[in-house]
Amino acid sequence: MVYVKWTFLTLLALLVFAFFHYTLPQHDIVRIADTYEKRIDPGGNALFWADPPVGAAQTANRDVFFIQAIRPNGRPIVYRNEDTGWGWPPYFKLDTSNLQAEATDLKSPKDNPQWVSVTHYGWRNEFLSIYPNAVGVRPVQGPDVSIFPWVNTIILTLVALAVLFLWRVWAQFRERTIDPLLEDVGETWDEVDERADAARDRARGWWRRLTGRGRK
Amino acid sequence: MVALIRLAVVGLVVLTVIYVMVSIYSRSVRRERLEDWADERIADGRLAEGDRDAFIEEGMRDYEHSLRKKLILGVYVVPIIAVIILVYVTNFM
Repeated sequence: MVYVKWTFLTLLALLVFAFFHYTLPQHDIVRIADTYEKRIDPGGNALFWADPPVGAAQTANRDVFFIQAIRPNGRPIVYRNEDTGWGWPPYFKLDTSNLQAEATDLKSPKDNPQWVSVTHYGWRNEFLSIYPNAVGVRPVQGPDVSIFPWVNTIILTLVALAVLFLWRVWAQFRERTIDPLLEDVGETWDEVDERADAARDRARGWWRRLTGRGRK
Repeated sequence: MVALIRLAVVGLVVLTVIYVMVSIYSRSVRRERLEDWADERIADGRLAEGDRDAFIEEGMRDYEHSLRKKLILGVYVVPIIAVIILVYVTNFM
């Protein structure tokens, strides 16, 4: 049972971590090599693609913008550029086309790189053909710039406070509502128990009188 | 448009659940505090034992008109402002 419990808790922790790792924004310092668009037919991986842009029809396939980039270590990373609109995750991103224009404007060749910070959420996974969604781009000084994740700090602090608050609410509810209820049930049960004991004693007395012999 | 309506409906439901929860919690905490105050007063001899319930009920009536109770409506106001700020920051800044 101990193994079951720990396996379950580990899986739960992994799931929570994965959820935040996917959803919260991250910054990559990259050089944008090119931008393009490609028709996409989301299938089994539809969960990792956004809904059609706000105002557009719900169709089986559509064109999606992509941003091809190279990391400072020379390895490639490709971002998709899609509206999140009013759906999940709640970035409320509606400016996909503007972002594509900015990204294209920041394109630079290998021998004269313009480093940019790409704010994005999501994962790149070759097996599922999924791409992180770029949310914003802005030029930075060089490849070694580090950006403090203020947004993540604020969001995770708020989440922690919310969990703490929920725990307080539960403790209060338990103390004021459930425990008194259980006490009532306990008292009722004791009464029932006493009455049963009394009834048994009476029955025994009657049996003893009837048979004329007592049991210890 | 459909997505916006969906966001509004889901948001309203979630926020209402939170609002009800916070209201019940806040009221429960206030009642507990009033009980403590009443017991203190009884211990000091400032309140008669028989007036305990009346003292608590009066405190709860005051609570129903308090600023604190109205502040819980912030559960609806704060997220709406947050969404408006987010839309501005993500798209127009």
